[in-house]
Amino acid sequence: MGRNVTPGRLLVVDDNKVNRLLLGRGLEQQGHQVAFAENGRQALEILHQNGFDLMLLDIQMPEMDGYQVLEKVASDLELRDIPVIVTSALEELDSVVRCIEMGAEDYLIKPVNPVLLRARIGAGLEKKRLRDQQRELIKRFATAEVAQDLDESGFVLGGRFVEASVMFSDIRDFTSLAESQSPAQVIELLNTYYTLMFEAISGQGGVINQMVGDGLMSIFGAPLPLLNHGEQAVRASLEMIEMIDLFNLDQVSANRPTIKIGIGIVTGQVIAGYTGTLRRATYTCVGDTVNLAARLEAYTKVAKQPILIDSATRQSLSATIKVEDLGLADIKGKNQQVNIFSVVV
Amino acid sequence: MEEQAIIDMPTYNQLKDLMGAEFIIELIDTYNLETGTLIEQLEQALKEGEATSFGRCAHSIKSSSASLGALVFSQQARELEMMGKANDLTGAEEKLAKLNVDFVQLKQCLEGLRDGS
Repeated sequence: MGRNVTPGRLLVVDDNKVNRLLLGRGLEQQGHQVAFAENGRQALEILHQNGFDLMLLDIQMPEMDGYQVLEKVASDLELRDIPVIVTSALEELDSVVRCIEMGAEDYLIKPVNPVLLRARIGAGLEKKRLRDQQRELIKRFATAEVAQDLDESGFVLGGRFVEASVMFSDIRDFTSLAESQSPAQVIELLNTYYTLMFEAISGQGGVINQMVGDGLMSIFGAPLPLLNHGEQAVRASLEMIEMIDLFNLDQVSANRPTIKIGIGIVTGQVIAGYTGTLRRATYTCVGDTVNLAARLEAYTKVAKQPILIDSATRQSLSATIKVEDLGLADIKGKNQQVNIFSVVV
Repeated sequence: MEEQAIIDMPTYNQLKDLMGAEFIIELIDTYNLETGTLIEQLEQALKEGEATSFGRCAHSIKSSSASLGALVFSQQARELEMMGKANDLTGAEEKLAKLNVDFVQLKQCLEGLRDGS
């Protein structure tokens, strides 16, 4: 009960001035910044002008009522993450249920009990913060495309077949490298490495969807289609090698160890979709294409070449990218031999 | 004859404690003004046979009156709200007239509280 609530920017929507005053006073006493609207139409106008953390919404209002506001907010990409707490009289519980079904977060019975008010606002703001954080995370670990796709699909979990190019990459002999460094140095190295790789991959329209230790899995061509995902994946891999070369120059001059990376790229059909739960979902791809890409990346050690690709990726390349046919190779997990190519760096 | 007080003092006092005496003055003045306007709107809606807006205005009065502790008055407004919702304003005129009279009394009572606070 005595839990401190982090202040937020709140909008109180009620056609009755006494209610507005009461709610506003209660909220200001709790340290929040409060703005007011007398009806739904005004509320939407104000919501669009300023960034709000939460809205307290009355149901029965002239001009535009609470239901209409909820409907507008739910279909508005900019507004739909603002938690809405419906304020209503006790006998309107039916309406409250309808509001919750329409996307309202919670409800408060009028006259509002200050203790409940504090608790519900606190919970609502906390949810908003978590959602903002989640969005930040998605932005950091995925690209704008995935964030947008997630936004538009409203986190619909479900898969589909997509033609895409899948890339696996990791640092050669990272384990022994890690053992020779202090933990802080290892993390710093990884962070620099990730920054460089992310730039190269997203610069070519790729989406990073898995980071495990020093390994990265990226997809080109999903969730949003790319015109030539095979070539773009290869271009990204060439940039990655180039960036690692530059990074190594720095490392040498700072008397630090250099790193080498291996990259495998395979083009084909993948099953793409969001996996996980509604609370925590990640965009990913599975299927043979993905498995083979991982195998090729591992095979770079055997072939002693930094970038290996399959024949489908090879076929998508323009003449400006030079490749070397390495012939058929026995790849772990494959019954048949696979024709592999090395991209000339 | 008085079954219940015009203002439920525990509710009112709690509100005053929570919100502060100065704020209560502003609140009472706002309430009196706002409720007066809403009653005018009720009369207008009744004249025009606008059951929906009649119900909505009554709803608004019900809600703010309950907050201040004017529980009997809030209950009266609720009856009017229900008539509006049922789209049947038969007998609303009498009830509205009673509400109007009681509002004068309530207003005085609130002003007394305000000045005594």
